[in-house]
Amino acid sequence: MKHKTGNYLYREQLIAALLWYGTWLASAIIVAGIVMGALPHIEHSLGLSGHAVVKSGVALFILLPIVRVALMLVIFLRERDYVYVAISAFVLAIIAVGIAFIP
Amino acid sequence: MEISKIVCLFVAAFGASALGGVLGMASGIFIVPILTLLFGVDIHAAIGASIVSVIACSCGSAAPFLRERLTNIRLAIVLETGTTLGALSGVFLIGIASTSFLYGLFAVILAVSARQMLARRRDVIDASAPNVKSWATVLRLHSSFPDRALGRDIPYQVGRVPLGLLLMYGAGMISALLGIGSGVLKIPAMDTALRLPIKVSSATSNFMIGVTAAASAGAYFVRGDIDIGIAGPIALGSVVGSLLGARLLMGLPADKLRIFFVIVLALLAVQMLLSALNVNILAGPA
Repeated sequence: MKHKTGNYLYREQLIAALLWYGTWLASAIIVAGIVMGALPHIEHSLGLSGHAVVKSGVALFILLPIVRVALMLVIFLRERDYVYVAISAFVLAIIAVGIAFIP
Repeated sequence: MEISKIVCLFVAAFGASALGGVLGMASGIFIVPILTLLFGVDIHAAIGASIVSVIACSCGSAAPFLRERLTNIRLAIVLETGTTLGALSGVFLIGIASTSFLYGLFAVILAVSARQMLARRRDVIDASAPNVKSWATVLRLHSSFPDRALGRDIPYQVGRVPLGLLLMYGAGMISALLGIGSGVLKIPAMDTALRLPIKVSSATSNFMIGVTAAASAGAYFVRGDIDIGIAGPIALGSVVGSLLGARLLMGLPADKLRIFFVIVLALLAVQMLLSALNVNILAGPA
C-alpha cells in the first residue's frame, strides 16, 4: 500500500512539473515576442518577427494540455493500466480529429 | 499593434483574473465581454483569444492542486472523453452559429453564473458502501484526499458517472462555443451528479478545463481563427493575474466581492442580450 501511495505522488509530481514549467516557458516566449515587436531593429537583426514568436508561445499553450494527456498515457502504460491507456488514447484521438478533419 | 493597446489588453485580463481568483472562479467568462464591449473586438476573435487564456489559467494553476493530491486524475481523463467530444461538437457548431445566437447564449450563461454565485455550495459526502457494479467502481475512481484541518485522508466515492459524462459533454460544447472554461456547468455536474467533495471537484474541474479548451483551441488555431495580437497579451495577463491575484488581493472581503461579481455578471448578461438584439450601449453603434 505504501509503495502505491509513493507511485501515486510520483505521477502527480511529474504532471505538475510539466504544466508548471510549460506555463512559464510559454509565457516567457509571449513576453519575448511582444518585446521584439516593440523593437523593430531587434526583429530585423534576428530575422524573426515578434508576431511569429508570440504565435509560437500561444501554440505552446495549446499544446501543453495535449502533451499532458500524452504523458498520462505513458504513465498508465508503465503501470500496465491498459483500460486507462485506451481512455487516454481516445481523448488524444478526439483532439486529433478536431485539428485534422474539421474544415 | 501599438504597445498601449497591448498593455490595455494585459491589464484588463490581469484584473479580471486576479479578482476572479479571490473567489476561486475562472476569469474566462469575463474575457469575451471585455473584448467585445470595451475593445470592440468581433465576438469570434474574442472567443479565440479567450479560449487560449482559459488554457493558460488551467495549466498555470494545476500544480498546487496536483501536489496536494486534490485532483482525481483518473476521473479527469474519464470525464475528458465527454468534454472533448462536446468541444468537437462546439467547433462544428460555431461555424454555423450566428453572431446573435452566440451573444444570446453568452447572456444565458452569464445569468446562470450570477445565480450560481449567490448560492452556496455544500458538501454531501456519501458514506454508503460502493455499488460494485457502478461505472465508478469498475473504473476504480473512488479515492481519498488529505484534509489539512483533520490531518488525515478522507475517502470519497464517485457517483453517477454516465450522468456526469453527459453533463460534461454539454460543458465541453459550451466551452468551445463561447471560449470559456464552463466551470458554471462543470461544478453542478461534479457536485450533483458525481457527488464529489468541493475541493476535489474544484481541482479536478480546473485540471480538465485545459484539455477541453485545447480541443477547440487547436482546431481554431489551425483554421487561423485565433488573432495572435489579442490572444498573446490576454493569455499573459490572465495567467499572471491568476498566479499573483489571490496573493495580492488576500485582504479583500470575499462576501462583498461576491455581491459585486453577481451585479457585474447580471449587467454583462443584460448587455450581451442587447448585443444579441443588435443594441450596444457601451461602445455605441458598431
